[in-house]
Amino acid sequence: MKKWFLLFSAGVLSIASNAQARKINFEKYTLTNGLTVILHRDTTAPVVAVTTLYHVGSKNEDTARTGFAHFFEHLLFEGSDNIKRGEFDKYVTNAGGALNANTSQDRTFYYELLPSNQLKLGLWLESERMMHAKIEQVGVNTQREVVKEEKRQRMDNQPYGSFLVEMLKRAFKEHPYRWAPIGSMEHLNAAKLDEFIDFYKTFYVPNNAVLSIAGDINIADTKKLVEDYFVAIPKGTKAIPRPTVTEPPLGGEVRATIEDNIQLPAVIAAYRAPKQGSDEYYAFRLLSTILSGGPSSRMNKILVDQKQMALQAAAIPFFNEDAGLFISLAIANMGVKPEALESAIDSVVSDLKTKPVSESEFQKVKNQIETQFVSSNATMAGIAESLANYEVYFGDANLINTELARYQKVTREDLLNVAKKYLNKDNRVVLYYVPKGKKEGAM
Amino acid sequence: MKKTIIALFGLLPLTLLAQVDRSKAPQPGPAPAIRIGQPATFTLPNGLKVFVVENTKLPRVSATLSFNMDGIVEGQKAGLTSMGGELLRRGTVKMNKAQLDEAIDQLGGNIGTSAFSASASSLKANFPKLISLLSDVVLRPSFSATELEKIRRQELSGLQAAKDDPNSIADNVTNRLLYGKDHPYGDIETEETVSNVKVGDIKNFFSTYWKPNNAYLVFVGDITAADAKKLSAQYFGAWKSGVVPRPTYKTPQAPAKTFVAVVDRPASVQSVINFAAPVELKPGAPDVIPASVMNNILGGGFSGRLFANLREKHGFTYGAYSGLKSDRLVGAFTAEASVRNEKTDSAIAEFINEFNRIRTEAVPTDEESRMKNYLSGQFARSLENPATIAGFALNIAKYNLPKDYYQNYLKTLAAVSPTDVQAMAKKYVNPGNMLVVVVGNAKEIAKGLDKYGPVKSYNVYGQEVPAPTAKTVDASVTPQTILQKAIDAYGGASAIAAVKDLSMTGSASVQGMNINVTQKQIVPTAFVQEVSMQGMVLEKKLLKNGQYSQSGQGGAKPVDEKDKEEMNENAAFIPEVYMLAQKGYQFAVKGIEPVEGKDAYAVQVKTPAGREYTNFYDVATGLLVKKTTTQEGPQGTMTISSLVGNYKNVNGVNIPMKIVNDMGMMKIEINFNDVKVNSGLKAEDIK
Repeated sequence: MKKWFLLFSAGVLSIASNAQARKINFEKYTLTNGLTVILHRDTTAPVVAVTTLYHVGSKNEDTARTGFAHFFEHLLFEGSDNIKRGEFDKYVTNAGGALNANTSQDRTFYYELLPSNQLKLGLWLESERMMHAKIEQVGVNTQREVVKEEKRQRMDNQPYGSFLVEMLKRAFKEHPYRWAPIGSMEHLNAAKLDEFIDFYKTFYVPNNAVLSIAGDINIADTKKLVEDYFVAIPKGTKAIPRPTVTEPPLGGEVRATIEDNIQLPAVIAAYRAPKQGSDEYYAFRLLSTILSGGPSSRMNKILVDQKQMALQAAAIPFFNEDAGLFISLAIANMGVKPEALESAIDSVVSDLKTKPVSESEFQKVKNQIETQFVSSNATMAGIAESLANYEVYFGDANLINTELARYQKVTREDLLNVAKKYLNKDNRVVLYYVPKGKKEGAM
Repeated sequence: MKKTIIALFGLLPLTLLAQVDRSKAPQPGPAPAIRIGQPATFTLPNGLKVFVVENTKLPRVSATLSFNMDGIVEGQKAGLTSMGGELLRRGTVKMNKAQLDEAIDQLGGNIGTSAFSASASSLKANFPKLISLLSDVVLRPSFSATELEKIRRQELSGLQAAKDDPNSIADNVTNRLLYGKDHPYGDIETEETVSNVKVGDIKNFFSTYWKPNNAYLVFVGDITAADAKKLSAQYFGAWKSGVVPRPTYKTPQAPAKTFVAVVDRPASVQSVINFAAPVELKPGAPDVIPASVMNNILGGGFSGRLFANLREKHGFTYGAYSGLKSDRLVGAFTAEASVRNEKTDSAIAEFINEFNRIRTEAVPTDEESRMKNYLSGQFARSLENPATIAGFALNIAKYNLPKDYYQNYLKTLAAVSPTDVQAMAKKYVNPGNMLVVVVGNAKEIAKGLDKYGPVKSYNVYGQEVPAPTAKTVDASVTPQTILQKAIDAYGGASAIAAVKDLSMTGSASVQGMNINVTQKQIVPTAFVQEVSMQGMVLEKKLLKNGQYSQSGQGGAKPVDEKDKEEMNENAAFIPEVYMLAQKGYQFAVKGIEPVEGKDAYAVQVKTPAGREYTNFYDVATGLLVKKTTTQEGPQGTMTISSLVGNYKNVNGVNIPMKIVNDMGMMKIEINFNDVKVNSGLKAEDIK
């Protein structure tokens, strides 16, 4: 607080020098069992985020056992040798904390957000989960029901909720990206306890994980505590399967019509795109902001406001470790046929291929991207997750400080080139979502 | 010395390191020191008070303007502030909405408004430009009439949904009964009040209350106090100060004796129960912290007693909670749950049991300290957001709190004892002086509620109405006389018999989408009814040449005896004629009930095919005014009711032009606009 008074009395008057993100300092090291540890200290508030990223997602699954990684997101809250069933989250709430987890095609991420004096509790919980989580029939049965309920609620019962599943299975033919993390309920039903135990011993091992901690911590003390809680966890002995399939080109436009419990049709297109982290990937991020970042973006302005053809429209960059998809999505307004909506979207997309983006619009999206990038590091949880992601995906946690430069390197010409190269009909899957019973009428 | 030893241990083989006890959760470290900064503050010559919470962690800045006011009584113009708050963001004298959107996006920023605040946020570099836009929005808004009409349409459709939503009804009625119509917290929005709001009213609101001497401007982020001062002076310095009215209100009092307010909602399968009492609890008062411990133990969340009792132990509900609000005008104690119809009485009893338990029994120490841990942790985590600090500063200024109020929060919290908790319960939880609002199916749930206090009935606007009491039916009235009277009221047997064919078209709106309904028939053997949306057929029923068929969105659907019978009733044009002529219909008069405020006979019908429904006939006019059927739905049995009305005389026969189907969650109003009788329909027209 003294600092504020000092600044105030000194009367520093230099207004708005160019935004320069503050450097995020961190320490990274590896334990003898292979666990990567990243520590970031920030004493602004007495909080700490204790997170573990396991480098396992749906792409690591057996083709006959899809949904395992996401299932483990649930199963690993069941308890451990020292944590009774159902107690895991109680420890956290009783400490005034919060916890959760999520699963992508590439990784699974668990976190506890705690007051900083509960750092040990977070380490204990995460190390228990890694050391000897309870993989028992009773927990498997319980969580199987929970996952089914989740699928019902988030996919079956949700308008357009199946779009990712429907899109992925058409956009990829060889690569395990062809299925979504939710996987197959039949596979989960068929799986035996042994298989779950085997999956745990293969993937949930220190040498396949990053422990990322950010908050009001003392680095030396934390290192000692991490050692205490984690070093005794044995290194995994099994080979960790990682897909090596190269997906062949799509080889022509793929189209399908899906019936769903909806009232308004939707048109969803996905273009094959390069993997995350490539130069072209950054160009795609800018393109998606041009199309749907903010109320003045092209899709919002043209499709939603001016033509009133879409109720909602968005461009979603869906990029992963091995490959990416550039998805455009629009829900038709009343009385608008999907064909008409598709051609309106196509004309917006085709503009990206024929006309260079104006200097002013280019500056606008760069500003929006910069705001987004800076804001993603607003919380300890956000920083811990970003550090872990960058480390696992690119082997460079320091991208948290340098990635913005990759965006800034993109030129208007790059945008034109990427659009010309990828946003073509023979490189895309188009889905029409139509109300049940309307498949014929809609086509 | 010690440090070296520890470092040496680090180098020893793993086996020696098993020094943590994994068998139980580690103890927390000493409570962290909470450092809550004092923001820089200054006041502009026009009276605008400015706070600056400098936080250089990220190169971004936000500015939030808020006002020192407690809301206004909107009365006949309820909706004024919610609509006005939106209108403010829709254009300035320099830019229309699209131009303003473009300008804000160009800066990678955001601007949001309400009737009581406006805020802007962006990266530091763009902030001076963004705050200039904010100043245009606040000081030079266009208040476009076109935009206001767009907002009004949204508001009215939202209201339509809220009118049927039991939680909104419960909130409205609770607020009205708790605070009264002359208090800012007692306003209720209706179609009428929303329609009353004019651009002039909105302009008047902003010019009356939005004065710099009534406002706080809070900067948070990477900005120095000096820069904030410069920007505030530049963009808000010319803002003219003025006198702001400070209305005072009578402090609402708790009921002298607990009473139950029932709002009848016949379609309900769950009752919404709201307990409420006004309390005198001002922000920052010494009671606030111990009382919050008490409230959290009682019903603060998943770990509260109400949740444990009503959900975990009894399974009455998905969740039961209590709340205790401190407020400068008047605070409130509340408790609420949605419970299955048949558990309404038992649930109220359990609430009251828990109220009494926390008042009379000492809270076990471990339960109390667990709750304090939870609250400390939450408080500590909330500090991560710099806006929390700004909020603290604002509260200190607004409510004249001691400067170190939040700095001492954890200390004060730790000092709360089980005795304090009990004392707070005795002071703020008074089951003898509460309002209990129950929104539900009055006929099913009302029984037994009078043991909690007098039971009164209210409509959705919080106006007292006569209880839906059972009126006695005169002995001379039989189902047959009621049906016959209906036939006479429609126009009489001969006028009805003169109708050879009929065609009707109508339309309805569902969630903003237009639905068309068409019906054609040659009495009594050919009938078709089609419901469609943009040419897509949602539902179709067809009777022709003795063949019955029906289809829905999924294609053809099987037709059973019940479906056939229903089509026969409709094909007869006047179903009562068919019902009286056919053998096997059973009728029973179930009493007199109000329908839209008028008495109607309820006639229960059991059909030969096994259908059951209830028709309501207006006692005075004899006409059919309502029909109800029950259906099995995902939440149990659901009552679907159709209000029938707006009769129009066509060729001597009264035909209803309006049908309102109420399916609990959704209401569909069908209006027929084109009715033709005896237009010479041919069999081939029925298809």
